[in-house]
Amino acid sequence: MSGVAEQAGTATTRSEPRRSGRRRAWHRLLQQPVAVCAGVILVVVFAAGALAPRFVPNPHTVYIGKWQNHAPVLSGWHVLGTDQLGRDMLVRMLYGLHYSEQSALLATLLASVVGILLGGIAGYRGGWLDSLIMRFGDMLGVFPALMFLLLAYTYFLPVTVTKATLIIGFFLWIQVARVVRAEIASLREREFVHAAQSLGASDRRIFFRHLLPNAGSTIIVATTSLLGMVIIVEATLEFLNVGVPSAVEPTLGNLIGDAQSGSLAYGLGWWTLVGPAGLLILILVCVNLLGDGLAEALRPARPR
Amino acid sequence: MAGFLLRRLVLGLVAMFAAMSLGFYYFASKFYPLRGTSTAHAYWLWLKGIPTGQSFTQGLIYPHIFSMVMAAFGRTMALLALTLVIVVVISIPVGLISAANRGKPIDFTLRIGTYVAWAVPGFVVAIVLQDGFGRIPGGWGVPWFPPVGWAGNCPSGQGVDLHNFQCPAAGHGLTHVGEVIYHLTLPALALALGFIAVNARYLRNSLIDTLDAPYITVARGKGLTERAVLQRHALKNAFVTFVPALVSGLGLIFGAALVVDYIFKLGGVGSLFLTLLPYNSDGIIQVDAYALMFLLLISACVMIVASSLSEALVAWLDPRVRAD
Repeated sequence: MSGVAEQAGTATTRSEPRRSGRRRAWHRLLQQPVAVCAGVILVVVFAAGALAPRFVPNPHTVYIGKWQNHAPVLSGWHVLGTDQLGRDMLVRMLYGLHYSEQSALLATLLASVVGILLGGIAGYRGGWLDSLIMRFGDMLGVFPALMFLLLAYTYFLPVTVTKATLIIGFFLWIQVARVVRAEIASLREREFVHAAQSLGASDRRIFFRHLLPNAGSTIIVATTSLLGMVIIVEATLEFLNVGVPSAVEPTLGNLIGDAQSGSLAYGLGWWTLVGPAGLLILILVCVNLLGDGLAEALRPARPR
Repeated sequence: MAGFLLRRLVLGLVAMFAAMSLGFYYFASKFYPLRGTSTAHAYWLWLKGIPTGQSFTQGLIYPHIFSMVMAAFGRTMALLALTLVIVVVISIPVGLISAANRGKPIDFTLRIGTYVAWAVPGFVVAIVLQDGFGRIPGGWGVPWFPPVGWAGNCPSGQGVDLHNFQCPAAGHGLTHVGEVIYHLTLPALALALGFIAVNARYLRNSLIDTLDAPYITVARGKGLTERAVLQRHALKNAFVTFVPALVSGLGLIFGAALVVDYIFKLGGVGSLFLTLLPYNSDGIIQVDAYALMFLLLISACVMIVASSLSEALVAWLDPRVRAD
């Protein structure tokens, strides 16, 4: 943490008490009510999605014959109405949330780990390894991300949610890798790295103990914006109905897809769209707000 | 600068060629009709057909892939053009109003609006517009626009109940142009919304940055009205960052257009791409690798042109970069 301590030492003004870099960032984050609210909403929504299967009956078994394609009944059982088979939309939405969030979080984790390692190696080593990794990343960017993912999907048919998670994770790492590479490449030239090198520290130690912790704030901001992108890409792919159908694994994306095709084909009501689409928008707005708040809080303090 | 651009362009073309070669190898080895034959030989034949143009005219399954891909490409380009017009026409006033009234309630409202609009995925906007303004039988929306299809080309049997849904003729001349725009209005609006938001925010921020510059103080000191300062002096400089950002967004708009095109069944690149891929097919899975590669080539060219153009614009608009 030498670099952070160094920064904190130069940037701390007299009015602000001396704190570690991490605690000051945390403090700055807590001073932004909007970002904190967004974070709390995200935690609540994700917790609801994670715990849903424990408390809510399985959506495949909940059929109530005479309540088909029925508008929401606020006083009764179906707060968000039912679909064409009489399945409760709230239950379906919660299960969709369960699968979507699981997959989005895992894919983001995977992409950022791969991106941090490859981007870090490219930035630290430089030379031909750097060129190789970054040119490979450029190749992934030749087509729109959606096109590449649709091409990759054809190898893994039928694409379950688990497979989709892995594919998306392995295709979107370049977003994180670019940022991490630039950060590591500039940190590499700093004095504390030269000091560690002259003390005889191994490359692995320098990378994991000195460079990565100092690139931490960049990585957090990049990962948060990646999460938003993963959620959009994943929902879009599920919406295109190239994965497993919603009857097997409901996700927010394929529920929206059902609502759209159903409304064109047999007049499925607006209530089938409102739940999943509203939830998706809520999550994305909150992720963006939290990301901006984190970027603001973690921004390296400028000398005043 | 020209050397830098040329190097970027060449690197992009090499990356594109590598990606397409890998893609061809994969599709030829995994899917019929090339599966089972020698993949290396198939690749060589395809490669040989590139200079003569044969690889782009005669497909493996489809007989005339050039006209097929070009028709789809033209439709997507028309969609992109209309989207770009909408983005420019709306985002500039929004950015100007926001910057002129910074800190006031109207700026606050516009900022919240653009923030949310940017967060909403394009396909959700598309569905809401389709349901809300498309003529869907038994739908809840106002029936102002056709919900699906290109002018004079109603996609029948694709889920839309055509009993109450008259397909208008495509018309000739100006009528045709009008029909095309009429059919593209909803898709273009759906595509534009997010990019209006991001560009308006971008313009607002760069205008506000510009307003702190000394030459603006001079302009104010001359006694110019705030309106004249904003429109004649600040806007011109803010364009230096706004225009390249707009153009570099073209690649993103192209990606988003794939889904919007599929939702509105316009028969553009997105629809064709999904038709060429082996989804929802039973029995023997066939892929026309020639047609697919041609479509990928066109798409990659759009992306490369968009990114090169935005960098060239930066150089052209900003004298400081031009001097390097």
